[in-house]
Amino acid sequence: MGDNKRYPELRRRVSPGWWTASRHYAMYMVREWTSLFVALYSLIFIYGLSLWAMGSRADFLNFLKNPAIIGFSLVALVFTLYHAVTWFYLLGAIAPVKIGRSRTKPWQALILNLVLLVIVSYIAIWLLIFR
Amino acid sequence: MSQDIATIRVTRYRPEKDSKPYFQEYKVPYRHDMVVLDALNYIKAEMDGSLTYRWSCRMGVCGSCGANIDGEPKLTCASFLHDFKGRTITVEPMANFPVVKDLVVDMEDFMDKLVKIKPWIIRDKETPPEQGEYKQSAQELERYSQFSSCINCMLCYAACPIYGLNEKFLGPAATALAYRYIEDSRDQGKDVRFPVVHEMEGVWECTLVGECSVVCPKGVDPMLAIQKTKILGATNAIKSILMPRGGR
Repeated sequence: MGDNKRYPELRRRVSPGWWTASRHYAMYMVREWTSLFVALYSLIFIYGLSLWAMGSRADFLNFLKNPAIIGFSLVALVFTLYHAVTWFYLLGAIAPVKIGRSRTKPWQALILNLVLLVIVSYIAIWLLIFR
Repeated sequence: MSQDIATIRVTRYRPEKDSKPYFQEYKVPYRHDMVVLDALNYIKAEMDGSLTYRWSCRMGVCGSCGANIDGEPKLTCASFLHDFKGRTITVEPMANFPVVKDLVVDMEDFMDKLVKIKPWIIRDKETPPEQGEYKQSAQELERYSQFSSCINCMLCYAACPIYGLNEKFLGPAATALAYRYIEDSRDQGKDVRFPVVHEMEGVWECTLVGECSVVCPKGVDPMLAIQKTKILGATNAIKSILMPRGGR
């Protein structure tokens, strides 16, 4: 032994572009960023609802017919769907339900939640637009 | 039998000589049954005795030979050379840990975390051995058994960007082991472990990247353990608010 001198350790820093290193990391980052679109869309929608609450339903619908809002809504729809699909899948991965001797698989939670999403969305659209 | 040649690029860092790490390339003849660890052993025995790395069992049990192979945290003893046929294999020290020398990382931080979660069965009062063992049903065993397969190889830490960005994060393996004991029907140490797993840098730091569970060589799912611990913590907090005696 003798020499107990400690040499400096090499400390490596995580670069800001760490998430580009693998497909899995990149997909995680996209998943996290999609929440920004979900949040922005929610704010826009809340503003639209406030128009309805303070004015009329026509004000609300006219606001939604604005081409910029339609354009953003389409982009937000794509990101929101990605957000929903990835989180529904994760929900199945972290909270599997035990049925008898087997446990549910993540894709089963994904399908069940997507079906529920379609039903809830249909009810919401019916209440807002077609009623 | 004909022999193929593998080209291996290994990180070299000798703190007494080098201020920065660099890559050194070796050409290693190999057979079909050889793994990256065999190649490192070949280099050390036949080509360059100064190459430094950790290893012990050669069979995915001891958890000492982890490295980043082509950027992915893997056990060098479980990575076959023929899987990389035709390309250069890059072997780097496990990401997110300070490097002591070449492929050897400093694992002190993980060891401290391991001790912190007290990975042993805690009893309020030990019963004398004459009274027999603490019994457990197959169903009770199943609740935690996968998490007891952890070999402390730390690959999950090398895969976790959260740990890379904040080394105070308790991290995947330590939480998986904490959960292993929290879920063990024989254990009574919940009150000791809960403050550790639920402090600021405990499970709540995890943002579900999920790579820890992908790289685990023993099929442990630390991501699941972390989320289950979050659920336990949240339900406990609600119980303590709703029920005066902490819902016990």
